[in-house]
Amino acid sequence: MATRDVACRVLGVECHPLPYYTISLETPPDFPEVAPGQFVMALADPGRDPYLRRAFSVFDVSRAEGLPRLELLGKVIGRGTSRLAARRVGDNVHVLGPLGRGFRLEGAGRAALVAGGVGSAALLLLARALHAAGSAFDVLYGGRRADDLACADRFADLASGAGGELVAVTEDGSRGRRGLVTEALEDGLAASRWHSVFTCGPTPMMARVAALATRHGVPGQAALETPMGCGYGACLGCAVPHRDGRFALCCQDGPVFDFDEVSW
Amino acid sequence: MASPPLTSPQAVDLAVRVGTLELGNPILSASGTFGYGLEFAHLAPLEQFGGIVTKGLSLEPLLGNPPHRICETASGMLNSIGLQNIGIRRFLDQVLPDLADYPAKVVVNLFGTTPDEYVRLAELVEPQPGIAAIELNVSCPNVKRGGIQFGHDPELLGDLVRRIRAVTGKPLIVKLSPNVTTPAAIALAARQAGADALSAINTLVGMAIDTRTRRPRLHTVKGGLSGPAIKPIALRIVFDVARASGLPVIGIGGIETVDDVLEFLLAGASAVQVGTALFRDPRTAARLVGDLRQRLFEDGIASARELIGGVLLEPGA
Repeated sequence: MATRDVACRVLGVECHPLPYYTISLETPPDFPEVAPGQFVMALADPGRDPYLRRAFSVFDVSRAEGLPRLELLGKVIGRGTSRLAARRVGDNVHVLGPLGRGFRLEGAGRAALVAGGVGSAALLLLARALHAAGSAFDVLYGGRRADDLACADRFADLASGAGGELVAVTEDGSRGRRGLVTEALEDGLAASRWHSVFTCGPTPMMARVAALATRHGVPGQAALETPMGCGYGACLGCAVPHRDGRFALCCQDGPVFDFDEVSW
Repeated sequence: MASPPLTSPQAVDLAVRVGTLELGNPILSASGTFGYGLEFAHLAPLEQFGGIVTKGLSLEPLLGNPPHRICETASGMLNSIGLQNIGIRRFLDQVLPDLADYPAKVVVNLFGTTPDEYVRLAELVEPQPGIAAIELNVSCPNVKRGGIQFGHDPELLGDLVRRIRAVTGKPLIVKLSPNVTTPAAIALAARQAGADALSAINTLVGMAIDTRTRRPRLHTVKGGLSGPAIKPIALRIVFDVARASGLPVIGIGGIETVDDVLEFLLAGASAVQVGTALFRDPRTAARLVGDLRQRLFEDGIASARELIGGVLLEPGA
């Protein structure tokens, strides 16, 4: 398995605005290729509180002067994420990855990418891959208010370049359509707009997305988020109830699951 | 001290014995923190481990507990995995043949819900040359009908160990619970029943609450606390049970640095297991082997064995 454990130099931290931030990391030249939906475990601080690494979807990948760069999109929630946001240029962040099973793009057709808040972190590389494959898609990006739609313009550019659009949805109406992102999804599904749905966001939102898509006979995949201890399959902490009655591991069997694999 | 001066870190002798279990170095992975070892060979150099203690194995596979199974706490974490495992037979058939190829000694951690189940497990393990020792899990806090009652009652534990002793000649290590008033009493019972060694400690029962939702952070409400937060407690129990029982002890609890390793050896441990630190960094165990070698070289200590039980105490302490 191509997983590396490497120290990465921080190239920059950008606020979008806080609590959302992106952190750019320079990886060693042989860092493996990252599939859309894969994640890394990042350790910002050699101290013991917080003790465990934090899981981050790989938001974006680029290359400069031969060195691969990873960009992580995060939201400051607790100690771990705030330590990471406080890194400065030149600091080291230890990264274990890439980890997990990413999105499968075969037969995506025209796709809906449904993001809830910082869940968009799992969907930008997917948008890039669809764009590169010449596959049309729309991005439905929801949040409580405008500030929750971090980096929305990057999605808008990719979607419009692929013959689709960004549909912004906020609960307070401060950007785009007022309401819930799942309502926008339901409208499009009713109009048979998409052949597949890809989603990442809060679990209740993804459960609703999966239920709506299934009701309309549209297959889809969700990038799940659970608390993780290790990210590589050792702690067995990230159990996901599987449709077959077992517990899958989010870190190894996922984080991307088909809608019908998960017992929502 | 007439031993010749050390010429290089490579000259340091890291080999230790835990009863009749001989280890190339005193660093093992702790049960439940590194699966069955083999599946993580791409992330950590298994050949450098002194030993690998498997995830707790039962007669039949177990699915484990529903989420949430873990949550982080100050300098540690709570877990309630529920002993999810692949079952002893699949381990013996599919994992052991490859795992036994590594120089690291394979220690199987076994648990049952009845003495008969433990005995059956030990019988299945006994003819396996690739298994160096048995660690008995009598102290998991996360299963309702699990082995915990054995680890909390000297009489029940003594009966259990006697029955297992009767069917195996392999080194028998009893893993102690910290969730009792006097671990030394359990340790003595284990010794009298024929145990070869002790490992200490398992996790401490703990709890955490999400103040926004007012719900426990774990599905099972309570779970096992591990990580650096528990190290002083583990050290105290290792010190106590080593002195009380005279048995060799494998120290477990929050070990992450070479200093932690030395503390446990000085307190009386003959070896240590690294657990939660592997979640943070899968290479911790291998790093500790190198760090220990370097530290002993710098301190002019020819053998790790010289440190065992070497804490200096005032007379009468």
